[in-house]
Amino acid sequence: MKTSKYSLLTACVTTILAIVVVLPVRAATVKPSAANETPSTHWSLQVHQVDSGNVDLAYSFQIAIYENLVEEVNKTRRFQQVFRDGDHGVSEVPNLLVLKTTVEQYTPGSETRRAVTTVTGATKLTVRSALLTRDGRVVVERTVHGDVHFFGSNLRATHNLARNIAKAIKKTPLPDSATSTALAANKVEPSTK
Amino acid sequence: MVHTTNNKRSCQSGERVVLRLFTALVLCSLTASAQSTIHRADGNAALNIRATHLLGFEGAKNNSNGTLSLQDGSLQFQRNGKPGAQVKVGSVRDVILGEESRQVGGLPMTLGKAAIPYSGGRVVSLVAHKKYDTLTLQYVDDDGAVHGAIFQLHKGEAGVVKAALTAQSMSVGSRQGEATKDSSGEVSYENK
Repeated sequence: MKTSKYSLLTACVTTILAIVVVLPVRAATVKPSAANETPSTHWSLQVHQVDSGNVDLAYSFQIAIYENLVEEVNKTRRFQQVFRDGDHGVSEVPNLLVLKTTVEQYTPGSETRRAVTTVTGATKLTVRSALLTRDGRVVVERTVHGDVHFFGSNLRATHNLARNIAKAIKKTPLPDSATSTALAANKVEPSTK
Repeated sequence: MVHTTNNKRSCQSGERVVLRLFTALVLCSLTASAQSTIHRADGNAALNIRATHLLGFEGAKNNSNGTLSLQDGSLQFQRNGKPGAQVKVGSVRDVILGEESRQVGGLPMTLGKAAIPYSGGRVVSLVAHKKYDTLTLQYVDDDGAVHGAIFQLHKGEAGVVKAALTAQSMSVGSRQGEATKDSSGEVSYENK
């Protein structure tokens, strides 16, 4: 009886160790291959700061969304360069897209409520994400959600949101840079989703 | 009959061991905060404070523990005493304080709570949470690009950092004012 208990305990500890040790190692080995990929377009992107709109959103959440967006968009390897808001370097970039994010809805949650009840206390974020050209033409505009339902802190919702926006951008076909220049010169109506 | 009694006893002792282990884990998590200290080297100049970097600070790993220090006009985050990322106080635009309640113990505690029978982990969750201060900074780099950083500090300590930052930015501002005779480059601080 005692032996079986010890073996069960050993198995549990081994499993936990395997989860804690092996997962980060796997993530680390995946990263370099992604870093070697070359950008698939000639576009660069500038991520603007998050506009909270009429929603009462904590400033830490706005900053967290912005920082996570910069990180996640960089991970997509879709753009030649990813600039932050206010960067003086964008003036020299010929093909620049701008990512604007406006918060539409925010439901504050509680980590303790999630841990105790499982079904309540979710933190939910809904934003309007727009990808624009330098002259303000909308390439794509969509509503994106980011939630945290079970594990993790409230700020994890911002990470999930940024990841969803990055996924949406990755799927979006970007306009040809030459076509875009011609469109801008001829003042053709923008193509909006 | 004797065999069954022995089984019952061994089960009870096992449960007791698990209960003691989790009590110890909760107590360790709660008392760990008491080890955080604020050191001020001289009056209002230097500050060393234990903090968790949540995200955003250039060159620092996310969710890492370390020391947030303020010295010689720069804010620095160090891990294990190694020289870390730093930002000049003059480049800090906003400092916003916040408050958040979080579950203590991290992943090991979550796994442990899941292992407690009869949903006992939920009861542990009720008491195993703690309020923290959050310190959100907005600063600009040399290219003018906006950065944000969020730190998690023990309750009441974020205000100390903010006060120290304000004091340092004032002294930096006045030094710059003396040198350039220009008082327009002030740092704005707001509290939410």
